[in-house]
Amino acid sequence: MEIHVDKDACVGCGLCVKDCPMNVYELQNNVSVAVRPNNCMGCLSCHEICPAQALEHRGIYAARRHYIDIKVCEMLRKVV
Amino acid sequence: MSAGYIDEMHEAFHSDLVYRSEDIPLECSPKPREMEQTLHGVMKLNGLVIRSLEEIAGRGANAVTYRAGKKFGHEVAKYFQKREDVEGALHELSDLLRGQYSFEVWKPEDKETFIIEENGETFIYLVFHDCIVRQTLRRNGLEQGGPLCQTLFGYVVGAIEEITGRKAKLEIVHTGPNACLKKLILK
Ligand code: SF4
Ligand code: SF4
Repeated sequence: MEIHVDKDACVGCGLCVKDCPMNVYELQNNVSVAVRPNNCMGCLSCHEICPAQALEHRGIYAARRHYIDIKVCEMLRKVV
Repeated sequence: MSAGYIDEMHEAFHSDLVYRSEDIPLECSPKPREMEQTLHGVMKLNGLVIRSLEEIAGRGANAVTYRAGKKFGHEVAKYFQKREDVEGALHELSDLLRGQYSFEVWKPEDKETFIIEENGETFIYLVFHDCIVRQTLRRNGLEQGGPLCQTLFGYVVGAIEEITGRKAKLEIVHTGPNACLKKLILK
């Protein structure tokens, strides 16, 4: 697993450090660093909690998303 | 009720299809896209059932759904090959769950093997990726880890017990939006 933290976007809140069950992140000089990327099991809790959207995972399995409404997506596509 | 309305209804349910009793449908109908409304309806209904069950039964709701799931797991796995080895049992389980749930065996990097022995316990970590329960909970804005998750727990435990003939227990380690980590404890 490759994890990238956007250093410019990260606000150093440490939420990802606290939330990750696998202790993947550490705060270094007020910026999150993925120190144990091989311990990541791809839950994406860190993405959900990061207020700065500073995280990127590569090589992750994206679970099927049935809860998203196709019609809502179609409407959104028209405006976005 | 007007005659026009009745005619309209009759028309909606009439076709020129010739159906023979021996015809076996070769594909799902209607197309998955047209099933979306049905799927969302089922997810909404399940969410409401679970929410009401929690309101009435409180913490007891977990015991009810766990037991229901376990019975279902035993019932379904009855027809699967009996396996004594855990790996074989997990293969069977993965076939059993296909389409609704997918999982993989996982270990943290400091562990040598997938079967871990720690504090007198033998266990295996399972990462659940695709999960219809998670989708249902998110569709309804419900928290993960509650009674609906217990149904899946019971189901997995029931199926593993049925396939291996050994007692098992499943614990939630973490629930996330894309995957959940569970610990399968073997007894
Ligand atoms: S995806 Fe989950 S396990 Fe991986 S870094 Fe984020 S919170 Fe940790
Ligand atoms: S949650 Fe986001 S902003 Fe906060 S420390 Fe982690 S990466 Fe930085």
